[in-house]
Amino acid sequence: MASQENGTSASADWPGRYHHIDQVLNTPGPRTDPGFLAGDGVKDFLRNQAKILVIGAGGLGCEILANLALTGFKDIHVIDMDTIDISNLNRQFLFRQKDVGYPKATVAAEFIMKRVPGVKVTPYFGKIQDKDDEYYMQFNLVICGLDSVEARRWMNATLVNLVDPENPDSLKPMIDGGTEGFKGQARVILPTITSCYECSLDMFNKPTAFPICTIANTPRLPEHCIEWASVLEWPRVHGEKKMDTDDPEHIGWLYKIASARAAEFNIEGVTWSLTQGVVKNIIPAIASTNAVIAAACCNEAFKIATSSAAFLDNYFMLIGTDGVYSYTFTHKKRDDCPVCGGEALEMTISPEMTVEELIETLTEKQDIQIKKPSLSTSAPTKQIYLQAPPQLEKATRPNLEKKVKEFVQEGGEITVTASTLPFNLSLRISYSTPA
Amino acid sequence: MIKIWSMKKNEDAASKKKPKTSAAQIRVQKDLTELDLPSTMQTHFPDPADLLNFTLTITPDEGMYKGGAFTFSFAINTNYPHDPPKVKCTQTIYHPNVDLEGNVCLNILREDWKPVLNLNSVMVGLQYLFLEPNADDPLNKEAALEMSKNRDQFLNNVRNSMRGGNIKGVQYDSVIVR
Amino acid sequence: MASQDVETVTTALATEAAPDAKTRRYDRQLRLWAASGQNALESSRILVISGSATSTSILKNLVLPGIGHFTIIDPNQVTPEDAGNNFFLEGPSSIGKSRAEEAVRLLLELNDGVDGKADVRSLEHVLENSKEWLSEFTIVIAHNLEAALLEQLASLLWADESYTPLVVVRSAGFLAEVYIQYHEHAVIESHPETPQSLHIDKAFPSLLEYSTSLDFENMDVTDHGHVPYVVILVRVLEDWKKTHNGSPPLSYEEKQEFKKAIFAMRKKSDEENFDEAVAQAYRAWAKTSVPSDISALFEDEKVRSLSPTSPPFFHLLHALQRFATEQPSHALPLTSALPDMKASTESYIHLQTLYKAHAEEEKAIFKSYLQVPVEDDIVDAFVKNSHALRLQKGKKWGTLDADPASLAAALETAPKALAIHLALTVLSSYVAKQPADVPLSPTAEALTAEALTLLPPGTELPDEFDEALGEVVRAPTADLPNTAALLGGIVAQEVIKMITKQYIPINGSCLIDLIETWTGIL
Repeated sequence: MASQENGTSASADWPGRYHHIDQVLNTPGPRTDPGFLAGDGVKDFLRNQAKILVIGAGGLGCEILANLALTGFKDIHVIDMDTIDISNLNRQFLFRQKDVGYPKATVAAEFIMKRVPGVKVTPYFGKIQDKDDEYYMQFNLVICGLDSVEARRWMNATLVNLVDPENPDSLKPMIDGGTEGFKGQARVILPTITSCYECSLDMFNKPTAFPICTIANTPRLPEHCIEWASVLEWPRVHGEKKMDTDDPEHIGWLYKIASARAAEFNIEGVTWSLTQGVVKNIIPAIASTNAVIAAACCNEAFKIATSSAAFLDNYFMLIGTDGVYSYTFTHKKRDDCPVCGGEALEMTISPEMTVEELIETLTEKQDIQIKKPSLSTSAPTKQIYLQAPPQLEKATRPNLEKKVKEFVQEGGEITVTASTLPFNLSLRISYSTPA
Repeated sequence: MIKIWSMKKNEDAASKKKPKTSAAQIRVQKDLTELDLPSTMQTHFPDPADLLNFTLTITPDEGMYKGGAFTFSFAINTNYPHDPPKVKCTQTIYHPNVDLEGNVCLNILREDWKPVLNLNSVMVGLQYLFLEPNADDPLNKEAALEMSKNRDQFLNNVRNSMRGGNIKGVQYDSVIVR
Repeated sequence: MASQDVETVTTALATEAAPDAKTRRYDRQLRLWAASGQNALESSRILVISGSATSTSILKNLVLPGIGHFTIIDPNQVTPEDAGNNFFLEGPSSIGKSRAEEAVRLLLELNDGVDGKADVRSLEHVLENSKEWLSEFTIVIAHNLEAALLEQLASLLWADESYTPLVVVRSAGFLAEVYIQYHEHAVIESHPETPQSLHIDKAFPSLLEYSTSLDFENMDVTDHGHVPYVVILVRVLEDWKKTHNGSPPLSYEEKQEFKKAIFAMRKKSDEENFDEAVAQAYRAWAKTSVPSDISALFEDEKVRSLSPTSPPFFHLLHALQRFATEQPSHALPLTSALPDMKASTESYIHLQTLYKAHAEEEKAIFKSYLQVPVEDDIVDAFVKNSHALRLQKGKKWGTLDADPASLAAALETAPKALAIHLALTVLSSYVAKQPADVPLSPTAEALTAEALTLLPPGTELPDEFDEALGEVVRAPTADLPNTAALLGGIVAQEVIKMITKQYIPINGSCLIDLIETWTGIL
């Protein structure tokens, strides 16, 4: 069994290297899809063809990179815009004290390549938004280990939008993980097929926000005093100067102001640590929870890439505070999801058609019951015609007489909203060739 | 790779192709074009191509703030509607629920914001503040105190401030509609 | 702290400097288990048997948060197979070297504050010659230990209640199991999500006096809108009892009437504090008493036969029982933790002061019931968490497999979990019977036959068993990197909970299926 790996192009492979992994790649199990091609084919895909993107090289990202490298992915890309901070070292195990201040993506990539021979990790120190569709198209799979709702929404929308009905390769599974203290979740998103991140947006708690009048007038908790310092006093005293929550001097100032306010109102409990926790919205994070969630994510990536076993459908939630409690369930897709829901229509129109005529055509369409539609284009976003408010209606009114062609190219899209539509409608425009 | 494509149901090819407009943009377009505002409220877009930054002017036609025009800036980020819009009063006004920096005390702008709310709900909430100022949860404590202790003086102060007067050393902006 | 005077402490609070490097490093975990948990971790000594991928994954997640010491005991040399799946080996360059030494060296790079040691003896040798060595450790973790040796180790560590807990970890391919063997595990700081009772139905004298002294009717509108709901409820309840023979509202109708009485006090329709009072009205009739799972602890043998040498936890339980029995509230001691509520600063801080003062009084009474001295920090934590104490009783590893009736019962109630457990058990019995150095190729038939010998005659195995067994047969010796990493997280999590005595560890087996991504408990 020890010499069955496919090592044709990967010179770093040594006999026995994939002894463990190959056991599940050589033989199907009871819950393996019949389409699974055991043996060399699947190994070749995993080791020589699959290209995988990891978003985030932090708590989850470090774990994800190590797991992917060990399971045999050889072409891994990683994006992270952060640099290493000392508070990362209790869990981000690819970083050392000497790495503090350096980009996470670069340091993580170098570590993995040094530790796991023959794996290529390509780092990008920057934002996910810097990259275009063409960049994301090159990957088979995307795994996200992010700590921000905003970045996840962006990545999710980008991958959903990437799906081209004519091109099966445009469908990139997105595996998303997240942790908070002893709790975490991992999920598999098959863009346009399963529920997407946006579908579940209302499931996530927002950080606690206190009423601003409580902060201003009736503080009761140390947190109220800290918010007073950061939300009201900082802008009042420092004007336009931005607060940098990573700057110890700024935290020190907030702490001092908050302490003084707490003393004035006989409130106990303002500490440096609490001040930092409140203003940075710090979420507790430990290596062990990250390990569980990252492993679950990578395991899904491995199963999807190899078909060696059924994969998660589609949400795994872990609560480790009282025993090990977990819940695996199918999160339902939302029909009115602004990202993956909604309707799409293919329309072939005359290149001479004006915007006004297009609107008329839309309102006459029996099957979609649309009244007073507003139209815009995407990429770049530009208003074509808005029904309201009056200023925007007036500003876009001259467009009614223009030809649709001036706004949208062949194959381009128009976003339509209307009060009669619970969601948005997307029009894909093609032009009939003039006779 | 697992054959994901075959999992796609037999739907007509175009029906699932999605626009590249961000979810925030679509929501803002929907919110704005479906605004149902009374004549006392008007939006203004300094750059009509930018739907994410605009102002709202409220001209109450009843109550103690009648005759004034109050302007609020709206800044919507790309995480809308997960994040609420950032709203500030652009003038220095004398109001129990608006402080001198322009911060506004309206629950749905902070602690009670939910993605199901929309710009219309925020605007209606703002207008309500001018019809029914709330002295119990103040941001401008002086004004609130005056309102609950000495209503006549408070009404005087409101009128005075709206004309650009000075109250207890604070210079207010003139907001009278000409 | 105790020796500093009040002034120094206050000054220290106001001018607390930026945290030191160690606090900054551990910031994200200190927010979970605080300095007390961290101290416990830093004093712990952990023994891990074998330097497998799973073992090093577990250790990684313990070295990072800063345990005191770990030892890996493993006589083996790194094989090419090891070098392929273990992140704490350096690929081909580690092949042929001591697996324990290589793993320890690379794990120690993660944290300068941790001490680690490689022990190249075999466990057999230790069990034969220096069993007592095991008592140096806080906890022992064994991954895929050969069945007979595991049984020997488990029996040894079970022999006395004071011996080290044992974490048994087994895995094959996509399936895994984690078991913690302990006699007893007491938790004071369980970090409950439910807060303590506010004693609204049993208002203490100063609270009652304050609530009844307020003149709601003639109060200024602003003040009226800022009376804390606790005060409103105490007041309405007191008035209610006067007209209802001293009883709180009991029937549905009475409860509705009670809520109406609260609303009737409003001066304006939008007073949030009165809305809160209505939302929290159940506190007026939900009787504050000792929760049944806490009073059950009073019946524990160690409480009943308390002696000066009993562990502090049982002394504290005994004192708690006396408090609940002898104090007129017949409840747990009051705590000063007051949730945030709509209120003015003055009224809230005043209420908080009343709670604090009375909680201190009750704590003093509680302490007077203690028969041995207990550290103040522990008493404080105990009182604060007295509604959420846990005392878990464990079983010896292997108890379940030795009892066909229990296995059969679990097969009915938790088929998926039991199927995984059984599949791993029969695999390890099979391995034990095979000569070493021969590649394993168990068949489903042979393993099923083995499983049937553990069960009552005539038991039918469910589909879940075939699904689990198929995976074990497919990958009998696979320590898959993802499975290892996931186990590394779960086991470290449980070990941290055991060591810090915070949060609640599993009691029994946790079964893991990484095909459906599912976990269950047996």
